[in-house]
Amino acid sequence: MYIGILGAWIAVFLTLSILSYLYEDNVFYKLAEHIFVGVSAAHWATIAFWNQLQPNLFGRLWPQAEIATLEGFQKFWYGIYHVLHVIFGKIFPEAKVDGVIYRGIGDQPQNLSYLIALLLGVFMLFRLIPKIGWLSRWSLAYVVGMAAGLRLYGYMSSDVVGQIHATMLPLWTGDLASSINNIILIVGVLSGLFYFFFSVEHKGALKVVSKIGIYYLMIYFGASFGFAVMGRISLLIGRFNDLILYSGKQYGFATPILLVIMIVVLVLTTRKKKPEEEI
Amino acid sequence: MAKITKFLEKLDSLDRRIIFLIIGLVVLFPLLVPLDLPIETTQLTEDAFNAIDQLPQEAKVLVSFEYGPSTKPELHPMAIGMLRHLFSKGNKVIVMCLWPDGLFMANEALEQVAHREFGLQYGVDYVNLGYRPGNEAIIKGITKSFEANFSIDSKGISITKIPIMHDIQTAKDVDFIFSLSAGYPGAIEWVLYAGDPLKVPVSSGNTSIQVNQLLPYVKSGQMKGIIAGMPGATEYETMVVEKIKNNTGLITEHAKTLLPVFETERNAKKFIGAQSIAHLAIVIFIILGNISFFVKRKNQRKY
Repeated sequence: MYIGILGAWIAVFLTLSILSYLYEDNVFYKLAEHIFVGVSAAHWATIAFWNQLQPNLFGRLWPQAEIATLEGFQKFWYGIYHVLHVIFGKIFPEAKVDGVIYRGIGDQPQNLSYLIALLLGVFMLFRLIPKIGWLSRWSLAYVVGMAAGLRLYGYMSSDVVGQIHATMLPLWTGDLASSINNIILIVGVLSGLFYFFFSVEHKGALKVVSKIGIYYLMIYFGASFGFAVMGRISLLIGRFNDLILYSGKQYGFATPILLVIMIVVLVLTTRKKKPEEEI
Repeated sequence: MAKITKFLEKLDSLDRRIIFLIIGLVVLFPLLVPLDLPIETTQLTEDAFNAIDQLPQEAKVLVSFEYGPSTKPELHPMAIGMLRHLFSKGNKVIVMCLWPDGLFMANEALEQVAHREFGLQYGVDYVNLGYRPGNEAIIKGITKSFEANFSIDSKGISITKIPIMHDIQTAKDVDFIFSLSAGYPGAIEWVLYAGDPLKVPVSSGNTSIQVNQLLPYVKSGQMKGIIAGMPGATEYETMVVEKIKNNTGLITEHAKTLLPVFETERNAKKFIGAQSIAHLAIVIFIILGNISFFVKRKNQRKY
């Protein structure tokens, strides 16, 4: 109950702090901005660690196993796990069920090739040590190479081939409305592409085509701007809806109280600032 | 006339804070006093609705949450409406997240619809696999193996112990993909790395700002319609309610009893009044701004 009320007060305070920037840059806004950056980074890192690194990396290197049954290399390998357990007990847990000791995370099959991923991940952290910071480039090279390869295929098949295929339309379909639609689409694609073709000077008939391309682009930008405004208004509606919700008695009148306090503080600080500016 | 001209000239140098205040008030007023505006459905939303509506009862749908609190007002009503639609048909739902915040949004939506409204069984009727970092690499990954990318679900349960996942090895095994997308990674990545290569139908509920980017994929048939921004969410909510009201297509008996809840708890419908009035105010500002500009230019030319 009290946690809910506290949460409402924090939410209202942060919302009003961010909105206060519309009046002018101020201490509330700066505070909310810094809290947002810090909390976001920590939140992302925590979730990524417990959802990805721990189960998908460590879980594959050391899946849960009964210690008594291990032999040879595996005994040594799980010995390392035990050392890690002693240091970081929560990340590398051990369990004792009916006197039997289990070490490891999850029940997926062991895959030691994930050691390469672990090594590349550790190399990334070497950026913090200038002397061996160059090793982080290997990790980055892997990420860039993998991402480029992955995206190239997707873009080529879906964006380039898929979209070209979708643009190959008949100019006359037998139906006037759909024929006009197809003509508008094809003219738009060709003139838009031509606008970005700079190997020939745009003059005469080519200038007309290029101009048509500009008009198409302007319509696109106008529509995009309209949609952007629509999106921003939606966000404002969401925040206002929460402010209305938290203005009730069950949340201790969080919105009106914090709103009044903020207005008073902002007015006072603005008044204080003005004489200094005049000097 | 001179007074009007002077007023229009003054508008040009109006303090921007007054505009912010007016926008704030026009958004606030319809939220306090809700407007019951008529809702007309559009082709884009109808296509998305029909694509989902035509799925058979045993179909399994992958729903990906790619939004956070900042875009919640636009996308959360879609998530609620779409989950109501799927569960009212008896479809199984596999939820995953490509955004860290998506996990909280997914949990909230599932708690409301799957747990409180439908009383469904976790792991049997639906599952939340949680968030994985990696963007499109995760999408590409699940086209090969779910288990390799989601060894555990959001509750820490091994994926091998979740009944709903027993006959789902890759993204090819799902019948439909629906992305609730607020940006990157989102709907486009689902088309590029799962929908097109695997020939699995994809649709999306997305923010207004993405609509222009997604329309070419709808036009080319790579996406089965989209739910575009808050107006799209309102339309979808309405279509789900109308479907149950008219008793058309596949509807479970339990879903019919939930109709009063679906009719009353509609956030998008509540918000769309504020959005419409705010748009009207912005259009008026743009017209006044332009008139002011031309009046000022005309007066400057006189001298």
